[in-house]
Amino acid sequence: MLYEFFKFELKYRLKRPETYFFFLLLFLFSVVGVEFVFQGIDLGLVKKNSPLVIAKSMGAITGLSMIIASMIMGVPVLRDFQYDMVSLIYVNPISKRDYLAGRFLGSFVVLLFIFSGVLWGMMIGEFLPWNDPKEFLPFQFINYLQPFLWVVLPTVFFGSSVFFAAGALSKNLMVVYTQGVVIFVLFMITKGITNETFQALLDPFSLTTLTKATKEWTVADRNALLIPVSGIMLLNKLFWIVLGISVLAIGYTKFHLMVVNEKAFNRKQAQKVKTLTDTITKNLPSVTPVFHTKAQSAQLLFNTWFHSVSILKLKSFWAIILCCFIIILVNSVSLGTSYGVDSYPTTYLIIEELREMSIYFFMIILVFYSGEIMWKERDVKLDLIHDATPISSFVNVSSRFLALLLIYAIVMLSLIAAGVLFQTLNGYHHYELAVYFFGFFLELFPFLALYTFAAIFFQALTGNKFMGMLATIAFAIINVAIGVFGLEHALLNFGGHALATYSDMNGYGHFLTAYLWVKIYWVLFGVLLLISASILMVKGNETGLSKRWKSGLTQIGKPLAAFGIVCFMFFLSIGGYVFYNTNVLNEFWTKAEQTSYRAEYEKSLKQFEYFPQPKIIDVKLNIDLFPSQRAYEVAGYYVLTNTSQEPIREIHVQKLIESNVDLMDVTFDREAATNNTYSNFHYTIYELSQSLAPGDTLKMNFRQSLQPEGFEADNSGTDVVYNGTFFDNAELPGFGYQKKYELQDEDDRKDFELAPRLQKAKRNDVKELVNSRSGSDSDGTTLEVIISTEAPQTALTSGDLVATWNEDGRNYFHYKTNQRIIHFYPIVSAHYEVLRDSTNPSGNTADEFVDLEIYYQKGHEYNLTRMMESMKMSLGYYSRQFSPYQHKHLRVVEFPRYRAFAQSLPGIIPFSEAIGFIMDIDDEKDVDMAFYVTAHEVAHQWWGLQLEAANVQGQNMILETLAQYSAMMVHREKYGDEKVRQFLKLQLENYKEAKIKSSKEELPLALVENEEHIYYNKGALVMYELQTQIGEENVNKALQNFLNDWHSFDNPQKPSRYATTFELISCFREVAPESEQGTITDLLEKVKPIGEN
Amino acid sequence: MDNLIITDLSKTYKNGVKALQNISLQIPKGMFGLLGPNGAGKSTLMRTIATLQEADQGEILLGGLNIQSQPNELRKVLGYLPQQFGVYPSLSVEMLLNHLAVLKGIINRKERNDIVHALLHKVNLFEVRKQKLGEFSGGMKQRFGIAQALLNNPKLLIVDEPTAGLDPVERNRFYNLLSEIGEQTIVILSTHIVDDVKELCTKMAIINKGNVVIQGNPLEIIESLNGRLYEKTIHKSDLEQYKKEYQVISDRLYLGKQLVHVVSDTHPGSDFKSIEANLEDVYMSQIFNG
Repeated sequence: MLYEFFKFELKYRLKRPETYFFFLLLFLFSVVGVEFVFQGIDLGLVKKNSPLVIAKSMGAITGLSMIIASMIMGVPVLRDFQYDMVSLIYVNPISKRDYLAGRFLGSFVVLLFIFSGVLWGMMIGEFLPWNDPKEFLPFQFINYLQPFLWVVLPTVFFGSSVFFAAGALSKNLMVVYTQGVVIFVLFMITKGITNETFQALLDPFSLTTLTKATKEWTVADRNALLIPVSGIMLLNKLFWIVLGISVLAIGYTKFHLMVVNEKAFNRKQAQKVKTLTDTITKNLPSVTPVFHTKAQSAQLLFNTWFHSVSILKLKSFWAIILCCFIIILVNSVSLGTSYGVDSYPTTYLIIEELREMSIYFFMIILVFYSGEIMWKERDVKLDLIHDATPISSFVNVSSRFLALLLIYAIVMLSLIAAGVLFQTLNGYHHYELAVYFFGFFLELFPFLALYTFAAIFFQALTGNKFMGMLATIAFAIINVAIGVFGLEHALLNFGGHALATYSDMNGYGHFLTAYLWVKIYWVLFGVLLLISASILMVKGNETGLSKRWKSGLTQIGKPLAAFGIVCFMFFLSIGGYVFYNTNVLNEFWTKAEQTSYRAEYEKSLKQFEYFPQPKIIDVKLNIDLFPSQRAYEVAGYYVLTNTSQEPIREIHVQKLIESNVDLMDVTFDREAATNNTYSNFHYTIYELSQSLAPGDTLKMNFRQSLQPEGFEADNSGTDVVYNGTFFDNAELPGFGYQKKYELQDEDDRKDFELAPRLQKAKRNDVKELVNSRSGSDSDGTTLEVIISTEAPQTALTSGDLVATWNEDGRNYFHYKTNQRIIHFYPIVSAHYEVLRDSTNPSGNTADEFVDLEIYYQKGHEYNLTRMMESMKMSLGYYSRQFSPYQHKHLRVVEFPRYRAFAQSLPGIIPFSEAIGFIMDIDDEKDVDMAFYVTAHEVAHQWWGLQLEAANVQGQNMILETLAQYSAMMVHREKYGDEKVRQFLKLQLENYKEAKIKSSKEELPLALVENEEHIYYNKGALVMYELQTQIGEENVNKALQNFLNDWHSFDNPQKPSRYATTFELISCFREVAPESEQGTITDLLEKVKPIGEN
Repeated sequence: MDNLIITDLSKTYKNGVKALQNISLQIPKGMFGLLGPNGAGKSTLMRTIATLQEADQGEILLGGLNIQSQPNELRKVLGYLPQQFGVYPSLSVEMLLNHLAVLKGIINRKERNDIVHALLHKVNLFEVRKQKLGEFSGGMKQRFGIAQALLNNPKLLIVDEPTAGLDPVERNRFYNLLSEIGEQTIVILSTHIVDDVKELCTKMAIINKGNVVIQGNPLEIIESLNGRLYEKTIHKSDLEQYKKEYQVISDRLYLGKQLVHVVSDTHPGSDFKSIEANLEDVYMSQIFNG
């Protein structure tokens, strides 16, 4: 008997098309599985077909495909109920054991067949023609088989057990549909568990388990070892297998071969009333059905409400919402920053968290309930009655659309309530309801609405719930994919672009206009989809697509046709308007165009890379900022000098390559002919009538303006904004070849036959030893700037503020340096609050006071005193230990969170809104990162601004590692060694994590190139170790000597090149006892494990 | 009131089944009975009239209204009770009737309440109007179906096997209701219960294998057999023999004996008894020998 059931199940499944469809789906998905799962993650030296990578990909695919398992395993018993077969089957003398076991095993075997698609697919994926053989190990079957058997199989078994039992016991189709999702949600919840071991144990797909089990593995291990069948991995698998068996056992005992379940008996039998009254004789009241537009609007409203309420009544819906809120409860507690410190639960952060966590649930609701809502009549067989009513098809379809929107709105409102509650519980009372509202209803809602248009269209097109859901999912994936593959224009990529980050300083800024236009364009398209859906929607028994379309068209009716045409016209005209803005008023570049332009730039101009150019020694500028128009006008001049040994005849001027930026009136204090050979690259060669002799100076006048026109739809242009303008002198004309325009991606470079790009020149590269930055156009300059901006904004740059005035509603600021600075200064303008103080750095002379200022956004007061104290203590420590501070002022200025960094320029530190300002620092448990980051940036006033390092290997050690060291010392002075060790612990974690991902053999610190994890994270560890070994005073003494030797300005004994780590290490060696020379070698010049103790 | 005129309607399904073959019918106001065995094409015809399915060819006119080109115009005056239907199990009968009333254009709240309540009384569901439809018995559900078909005072009422699952009391109640409505409305009633047609309908048609085999007034149709119908009690074993020799239109058991009805223009001989024709005989003669 068991065998009969087994055979029946097998045969049934093998006849069903979806069996093969699922197999194919998994197969095709798995072919690109590794790419999909590890998208955007740099595997480093770990190969793409190493067992670990395969296992993780398989695990993730299995997790995502649990819904398939549910569709196969949930229905075997349910099916008998669904088709009213139970009475016929259960009445037979069958045993429960045979029935259940047969059904289970039969389905399970079919499911294994389907999931074997993962195994085959992934293997095929290894042989795709475009694979780079360097990223792969030689093919080994066992590398696929073992992870499949050990990672996928137990998961599938567990899933099958649960789904089978749940389907058999609940006998509810919706349970089958949702449980695959629920298990995924379960997985997400485990992600919120902070205890790593528990998280690894409880992960149903073993993803975190794999990470945990292989945490200590080296790259070689990762490429060679199979998945461990021991330790945490074994526990995890045993846990889920045992759980699966238990569920099966429970299901088995609870299940009865009964047609009617207990519940049905409990219902109130109130149907006995059968009083035959004489109402029959009464005539029915007459009714007057109406179908005019007003009536149709009423129908629309009634039906919208009816359909939303019917979703709100579904248990499955509440299950999804419950899961969503559980996840939020688990996760949103952590508002951690990259520095390991929590932020204040500001509204925009809460919204971002909530959006990020709820988006999956919104998508689930969208995909599932668009299917449910479209076919609800058919599902209960009310469709014939429904379709015979005279409701307009468009009203019908639209009301379902609106009902879904209403559902989203309700969920969003509850998310907002949850957010406010969370803020309240955390003692944060600055509620910004408008920000909440826009964060959801402006950013997320249109996205959902557009995909709902699409989902409803696909439901109507396919005429089948399941196919409609799949088509919707496929559409979403394809839409993302074509965006990646170059169809990136907002008018072509369905839905357009996302709205740029919200900033407290700049709100949504100028991004909103473009966003709204593009959204209106797509909403109109969506309405057209909705009209098409109403034409295509199945009425009665018609199923053929062309037939539905034809008969739908004849029924469309004049008003709707007119409405459709009007929408179409608006769609076209708004599309045209957007196109005019993005492509006519502005330039639109596809990624491919940008890539080839960059390649061409390099090919044409690389010849000029070391072509001698004069150096800037004085800059005078008049800058007029017009933040409300996002425009500026700059007029001024450079004084240039020839520092080379040869006369210079050609001045190569590179204008910023950006549309709407014009460089005008470039003139020299002598005749010059213009050579426009490279004007395509905005690269102009001025041939001087009279060469510039070595040591001679030349004045170059110029004007530059930025005048944005219309809008662009790619969220670009974060430099000059309504409130929070921040750019630096790289905006202004530069000299010679600009390496920054080169293609960075090595694959792209290969495509254009460009040589691999050196990250940094060797430490003995004579051409780069004289450069402190790549293509540097100055060895130090004086600066005088008059900036004007719109009141009430404050404009800032480097230099002392010598005057400020107001004229015609504009604020003017006159800045002038009192000494030479490196040619690197910012232009900043925003509406600021200011915190002022002053200090006399202990290493400066007694009467030298430094004005300290923090320019900040109102409301960001939380950490100002910490930052201010850090500025004071840092200036004190560094001036005492290294050299006096060079300016009479030090300013920290906040800028919008489009970019998240802080940067030190002469006397001024632009500091992103995203870091430091809104950290919620608990002195008990946190490291005061606001203090630390400030100290780090202040240290750059020495490392980088007093002493520049040559643009060669090790440059970043001098600039960044020394800043890390300096900041740690100040931090220790303030908070003690304990906190510094806590800080180092995080550095060690970051370093190890990045090391595994790095695709490059690690270089010693002294030769570091651009690896942040080495010069920041490892650097901090190394320097801490160094000062432990040779003493803080000795390190400081060495640094003082180093500064003395290599100070960039007023330093006659400095050679005519810049410092390298070679000289830095010599300074260390000088102060270190003989016994510690080996330590220096080990720490700085070798790659040795660090921080393990 | 306009007649419903069906001309030359044909429909062949993809699997080759010819559900309708050149059907032409004229249906005036009043009750019209559509008789036919299972699978004769009754439901296809009714669904086609109810605009839920398209015919391959032919035309259906209700007065000046072409149903195929203006289906929604017909739906405005249509009441339809399909042979099989389901309900939202979690809704009450009152809510679902309300919902359907809105779909049928009854926007005025008072009007809607009145008609829904009146119908609930009519079909004797008023007492249980708040109860969930999921808890309804088959008969109760059927009565809901009847109520919804009458929501919009239809000009054309199509009821497909409406009495299936009703007990005799409810069935009578329903037929009373129908005939009351039939006074102002075209009512098309499909059934395979011959007596229903006889009791209710002023006109009728018999459909078999997609063809109209006979149509007209039930009495006239019965008349056509009168004088040609004979009955005899025989041995079960002789049945085959009789079927060969005579035009046997029905064979059934009566008190344990085999009874045959035979059509013949002349008296078929001894032991045959001439009998009054009834509709069932007509039906049987058309289905089996037509």
